[in-house]
Amino acid sequence: MRKDFIYIVENFLSRYKLIAWAVVCAGMLAVPLFGFSPFIMRMFIMIGIFAILALGLNLLTGYCGQVSLGHAGFFAIGAYTYALMKINLDAPFLLAMVVAMVISAGCGFLLGLPTLRLSGNYLTIVTLGFGEIVRMVIINWRSLTRGPLGIGGIPAPELFGTTFTLTNHGFYYAMLVMLALTGLTCYAIVNSRTGRAFKAIKQDPIAATMMGIRTTRFKVLAFVLSALIAGAAGAFYAPIIGFIDHNTFNFDISVLILTIVIVGGMGTMRGMFLGAIIIIAFPEVARFLMTYRFVVYGLLLIVMMRFRPQGLLGWKSRLPYNIPKAAKKQLEAGA
Amino acid sequence: MVVFIQQFINGLAIGMAYSLIAVGFSLVFGILRLVNFAHGAVYAFGAQFALVIFVGMQISIALAILLAMVAAGLLGVIIDKTALEPLRKKKSMPIANLITTIGISHILVNLMTIYFGSQTRGFPALFSFGMIEVAGVRVDSNQLMLCLVALILMGVLTIVVQKSKIGLAIRATEQNTKAASLMGINVNFVISFVFFLAGASAAIAGGLIASHYRIVFPAMGFDAGLKAFSAAVLGGIGSLPGSIIGGLIVGVSESMAANFLGSAYRDSVAFVILILVLIIRPTGLFGKKAIMKV
Amino acid sequence: MKKKTIGILVVLALVAVIFAGCAQGAPQAPAQPATPAGDAGAAPDAGAPAAEGGNVRIAVAAPLTGDNAEYGQGFLNAARLQAEHRNAAGGVLGGRQVEIVPFDDANSSEEAASIALRIASDGDFAGVIGHFSSGVAMTAAPTYNENQIINISPSAGHVDFSGIGEFIFRNNTVVVVEAGAILDIAVTDLGHTRIGILSIMTDWGVSTSDVIMNLVDALPGVEVVAHEEVMEGSPDFSPAITAFEAADVDVVISVSQYSTLAPFAIQYRTINPEVDILGFSNAYTRNLIDIGGESVERVRFPVSFFADSPDPVIQAFVSEYIAANGYSPSALTAQAFDAVGILLDAIDAAGTTEGEPVRQMLHEISHNGVAGVVSFDAGGDVMRDFFRVVIQDGEFRLTN
Repeated sequence: MRKDFIYIVENFLSRYKLIAWAVVCAGMLAVPLFGFSPFIMRMFIMIGIFAILALGLNLLTGYCGQVSLGHAGFFAIGAYTYALMKINLDAPFLLAMVVAMVISAGCGFLLGLPTLRLSGNYLTIVTLGFGEIVRMVIINWRSLTRGPLGIGGIPAPELFGTTFTLTNHGFYYAMLVMLALTGLTCYAIVNSRTGRAFKAIKQDPIAATMMGIRTTRFKVLAFVLSALIAGAAGAFYAPIIGFIDHNTFNFDISVLILTIVIVGGMGTMRGMFLGAIIIIAFPEVARFLMTYRFVVYGLLLIVMMRFRPQGLLGWKSRLPYNIPKAAKKQLEAGA
Repeated sequence: MVVFIQQFINGLAIGMAYSLIAVGFSLVFGILRLVNFAHGAVYAFGAQFALVIFVGMQISIALAILLAMVAAGLLGVIIDKTALEPLRKKKSMPIANLITTIGISHILVNLMTIYFGSQTRGFPALFSFGMIEVAGVRVDSNQLMLCLVALILMGVLTIVVQKSKIGLAIRATEQNTKAASLMGINVNFVISFVFFLAGASAAIAGGLIASHYRIVFPAMGFDAGLKAFSAAVLGGIGSLPGSIIGGLIVGVSESMAANFLGSAYRDSVAFVILILVLIIRPTGLFGKKAIMKV
Repeated sequence: MKKKTIGILVVLALVAVIFAGCAQGAPQAPAQPATPAGDAGAAPDAGAPAAEGGNVRIAVAAPLTGDNAEYGQGFLNAARLQAEHRNAAGGVLGGRQVEIVPFDDANSSEEAASIALRIASDGDFAGVIGHFSSGVAMTAAPTYNENQIINISPSAGHVDFSGIGEFIFRNNTVVVVEAGAILDIAVTDLGHTRIGILSIMTDWGVSTSDVIMNLVDALPGVEVVAHEEVMEGSPDFSPAITAFEAADVDVVISVSQYSTLAPFAIQYRTINPEVDILGFSNAYTRNLIDIGGESVERVRFPVSFFADSPDPVIQAFVSEYIAANGYSPSALTAQAFDAVGILLDAIDAAGTTEGEPVRQMLHEISHNGVAGVVSFDAGGDVMRDFFRVVIQDGEFRLTN
């Protein structure tokens, strides 16, 4: 085993896993104590939301190998469901969020069905069409979505009698809770039978079928899970931005989410956080480039794909494979 | 009835415009299995460039479009050589190619906005000899010429691909890159040539469409690109006649939707048809069976 | 394995850059107002006490990149021109210089929300001119209102925009008044009764066409016989034109910018050269004639700003604007110029840059601008008179 830099970092992290986690968690919990301006706090929240979206898309693209260019559609469905439930029915926060997740997941199921017949580029095209159709429905279904007028004054979420705002850091902590829940869910999925099936399908669909994995079922499941998470993120995003219309969820947002997944490193979870930090902070950080900032953004994408297509954190683990406890016991018993 | 026929003819004209753009998607996809998201930007560049040299060099607009063809063709080759070829050499994942073309499109559109401004500019008309009216149905000379020129160009492209030597090489590369290179075909040259053809056809489309509608603006490639792309997939991406039929279907169904459902619905029709066709017949109407299904 | 190490270094470098960027945005100390990275021309007056004597800073938040960059650039140019005027005349508040700080929102709600918080966190802006689209402006406006920062949009057309709060103003005409003026041209001046409406699918397009239809309902004998909606930026109007022709319209009211009106007029006039077309004042720009040529002859508008007006103030503005930027100002640009003008007047009259007194002053004063007299009503909207303009022989001409 060569002891290079990565090995040292990874070894250090896995040895002091608990301490590392404790430091990170404490750091994140303590962020509001530093008295950052609302502008910076909002950026943290946006990074959190897009990390959640990326974690969701990562299940689909990073682990299951199905590229989606229509994730803004799910994001929009979540946001609109939340906003309409809140405004028209005055539904409580958690109920609105759950409904948003369910509807979004339902659409994910529908979008997943074409995987019965399509794969690769063609599936990507269908997802792209889905994203555009969601936008068109928002524009044209005026009695429900108010069309191009958009929906304004979306009420802030409330829980146990407190209303979340930017200034009382309610949004920030709610984001942390959601991020943690999403992260844990994704972690559990990835390390379960389902997650292994996803990876098998990504690696080699035919071999996966041969091994008795029902590929279609798992692909649809990946779509549903991914849409569910995107819907939750949308429901949380709506009250923060306060005003949504069809332009809030355009093709650029779909590309943005996919870019985070790829820049961070497909099939890694920590990559999603790093990707979200870099991609979301970029437009703010790059303000000094003035009108050239989106040119530079395009250049960064190209250079990234050229030199690190596996993403910033997309290296292979250099640690020996971690054998599960049960298997270890079996081995020991056998020996 | 007159209205219906009129809408049908309107649809044919816009459909022809889509198919001109669609052909570029089709050519590149056929050979590389790559969805070239930068194509819409190249199309916008072709139109902008033609206008700039038309104004700057005081030449006729037809000549300007010809020069723009060369420029956009070269742009296509440059895009391939600088950004896409290195990825092919490294055998990167398809998604890396996809993101790269999106990046290129960002760069092109934003550079155009910086240098030409985001405003809509007027574009001179190529043809104008009034209107033809038959039994209450009016056909504008521009619509007619747009269809005619588009058909001629499609014919030329088909001949190039089907009859010429380079066309043979293109088809060989399309079927099996490795075997083609073993047979002594310079695959890299063939790919560059295809990018040149795609870029040049985009510039012609840009020039023709801009002179039909008499406007150009940097963002014109986005919507048109998405719809043309649907048209290409619809007809069977990788097939030239497929692009024409796909374009016409998208065009006609758009104007029918505008007629029967109202203008508001016309823009969603392309995508609905696209998804339906892909689910019912994944390879499109004219596509070859190349999809591996698990 | 060097590659991996390089990868890690790249990651670290990027993270470092981002934190540097964040730190730049955060106000470190009250004495040092953070200079936004976007402003190349701003002189950082670090060390100088920010309370008195520093520059009066006005933010222009608008799309400087992307599809709507032309409008944002127009706002910025106009604001800079107004600032130059004031500075040459000795500044405001007894000699303080006016400083325009640009923020690019790329016409995205997401960026606008972030910019609004950035401006609010900075705490040193006397006001914000901008946000171009209503949707974008409405995302940012609540933040300005909460932080008592004056926000004047020269363009937002959404009915609810100025109602967001008392610090939110709009120097754009109220839709009802402008639509009334247009209908008056159609019905009284031209004597038409069969009206067609072409509207773009934006918040402004939708709400404006609703207003027109309500106004028409109240007019006896006049009716809207066809209403066609198009996506902004889609260049093909043939289905809409066919529908108008089938409904036998006398006049089409185009609820759109010049970029839709010009190609629409070209396409319609090739089919039917007789049809009358009316536009809204935000289509009033020289570009319309440059693109439309002969096809936009006889197109009529109600406008509050008329660039060819003999008024010396307007002439001075137009010639200075052309000298500085190489093209003539549009109606929206003129409204941005006046928005900065009335804001600076109010600051002068209130004797402070504090939000609350300036806000009250904005309701009291009126400003004699290039696009008519600006005076805000209780809701933060402007009422103004319209000139009626027609295009004749490739020029805009007054009709009344």
